[in-house]
Amino acid sequence: MIPLLQTLLDGLVLGGVYAFAAVGFSLIFGVLGVVNLTHGVFVVLGAYGALLLHEVVGLDPILGLPLVMAALFALGYLYQRTLIAAAVERASLVASLLVTFGVALMARNLLQVVASPDVRSIATAYSFAGLSLGPLRVDLVRAAGLLTSLVLLSGLALLLGRTAFGRAIRATAQQPVGAALSGVNVRHVHGLTFGLGAAFAGASGAVIGMMLPFTPGSEAAWTLNAFVVVTLGGVGSPQGALLGGLLLGVIATLTAQYVGPAFQNAAMFLVLVLMLLLRPQGLLGHAFAASR
Amino acid sequence: MTIRIAAVLLLFAALAAAPAFVPPFEVRVLSLFCFWGALSLAWSILGGFAGYWSFGHTVFIGVGAFVPGLIVARLLDGGGAELMPLMVLAGGLVSAAFAAVIAWPLLRLRGIYFAIAMLGVAQVTGELSAAIEWIGGGIGLSLPDAAPAALAPEAFYHYVFVGLLALTVGVAAWVRGARFGQGLLAIREDEDTARMLAVPTEGYKIAALVLSAFLTGLLGATYGFSLGYITTDSVFRTDFSLNMIVHALLGGIGTVAGPLLGAAVMVVLTQVVLGEMLNLHLFATGALVVAMVLLAPQGLLGLWRRRARRGADGRPRP
Repeated sequence: MIPLLQTLLDGLVLGGVYAFAAVGFSLIFGVLGVVNLTHGVFVVLGAYGALLLHEVVGLDPILGLPLVMAALFALGYLYQRTLIAAAVERASLVASLLVTFGVALMARNLLQVVASPDVRSIATAYSFAGLSLGPLRVDLVRAAGLLTSLVLLSGLALLLGRTAFGRAIRATAQQPVGAALSGVNVRHVHGLTFGLGAAFAGASGAVIGMMLPFTPGSEAAWTLNAFVVVTLGGVGSPQGALLGGLLLGVIATLTAQYVGPAFQNAAMFLVLVLMLLLRPQGLLGHAFAASR
Repeated sequence: MTIRIAAVLLLFAALAAAPAFVPPFEVRVLSLFCFWGALSLAWSILGGFAGYWSFGHTVFIGVGAFVPGLIVARLLDGGGAELMPLMVLAGGLVSAAFAAVIAWPLLRLRGIYFAIAMLGVAQVTGELSAAIEWIGGGIGLSLPDAAPAALAPEAFYHYVFVGLLALTVGVAAWVRGARFGQGLLAIREDEDTARMLAVPTEGYKIAALVLSAFLTGLLGATYGFSLGYITTDSVFRTDFSLNMIVHALLGGIGTVAGPLLGAAVMVVLTQVVLGEMLNLHLFATGALVVAMVLLAPQGLLGLWRRRARRGADGRPRP
């Protein structure tokens, strides 16, 4: 019984971080309809940013989050207003898929040249400490990562649900023309939403950097992961991302524990395909254009 | 029309004559063009004509290559070089059968969901081929050298790849002209309307995927023989999936000549211009994709046609 509970707990902790890593992708997909294949690059950039702050200034990754988020926000905003907007205007949303894919390849290549293709990780002073909950055990880093994820996810949910800016974002997602007629600057909101998505991806990268090893090539896995989380949970809401992330984390750890570590992706993928066939809008999906 | 047929015959005559006149390295570059061009064209039968973009077509290369690998290792005790044609055919057929199995659930998905699902199929199949001991993709499988003694290996495989390219061009050109191909184009333009107009969309999509997988499987099996030793990492390669799309996109998606043109440009670019700078290939490919989407969404053929439509004064003809 205890091993099963420990596996479930590990899965939920991992799932919380998966949700955090995917929420930006979900937001961009839900509001702009753009499948952002650069998402994993933002995650990995956040991890490298936190590593740089940790090694050069000695700043703890969690304390450094505001800096990483601000940098990624600016990057995301500029990226959307220049390349993405141009691709959507000139061609189609599928074209934006290809553009983000091309940029991801370029960014991965540049990161390999600048930061070397070696495996890195962020080692903090409390990396090997742990918390005990009765017979169960959680690494302190993972607990801190989970707590950060939940706090920021709740913050995003409040921002979207309770503020004027959040209302503008939701209005743009539902009906861009209607939002524009009501005085929302749709282009600006698109840029800000993209920046917000990038900032959350970067923040999750900083947390992930403490928990798991990363390389420039990890970006593909994190993009795919975000896609699976969003498909499971539903597009466009932090709640959907949280549910999808937790589900994915539990599936991953249960498979690794009871079937074999090599079959983790196979199990995740099987669940994804079943989900697409049975409930394509995800567990908490709305009937937005992008989630159909 | 006659000019086109003459151009195609001339191209294949030049390709077939190449080993007699050019040094081995250039023969390999030409073989690579045939391999890439045929792959991209095989991908186009589903991706270009029907608009169902597969992001994981390398799965059919992998399956196609592992079938002869397993036949040689488990049934023939490492021999059987003279059975290569049959084993290549088996690679294509098993690939097609695999496609037929996954077609029904996956082709119910559209657009980005189909693309990502195929990416997942490739990823998972590759991982399973490495994880399951009986398949042995982690350690690898050897294939016998099938080249006859009178021919250099690179010349032999060059002839095989030229033959497969001819087959693929023939099949793709036939599909493009046939009722089947018109149906696929209708699906690309508007699937629901096509269905309403009694195009058998379900059957056509499955047939396109199976045909595409069969050709890709033949190419994968031949590629496996040309390597002589295959592992999961050498045949289940994401960059194969990517290149098939990039070549079609570069040349002009939905045409027969486009993927070949794209493959030719990319072979020259990566093997000749950037041959010394291997660490920048990914960057160059990415930049090319971005530039094509923003500047020439119809590919090089589209650019050329747009130019041809304009008169000498630069104004579009009526």
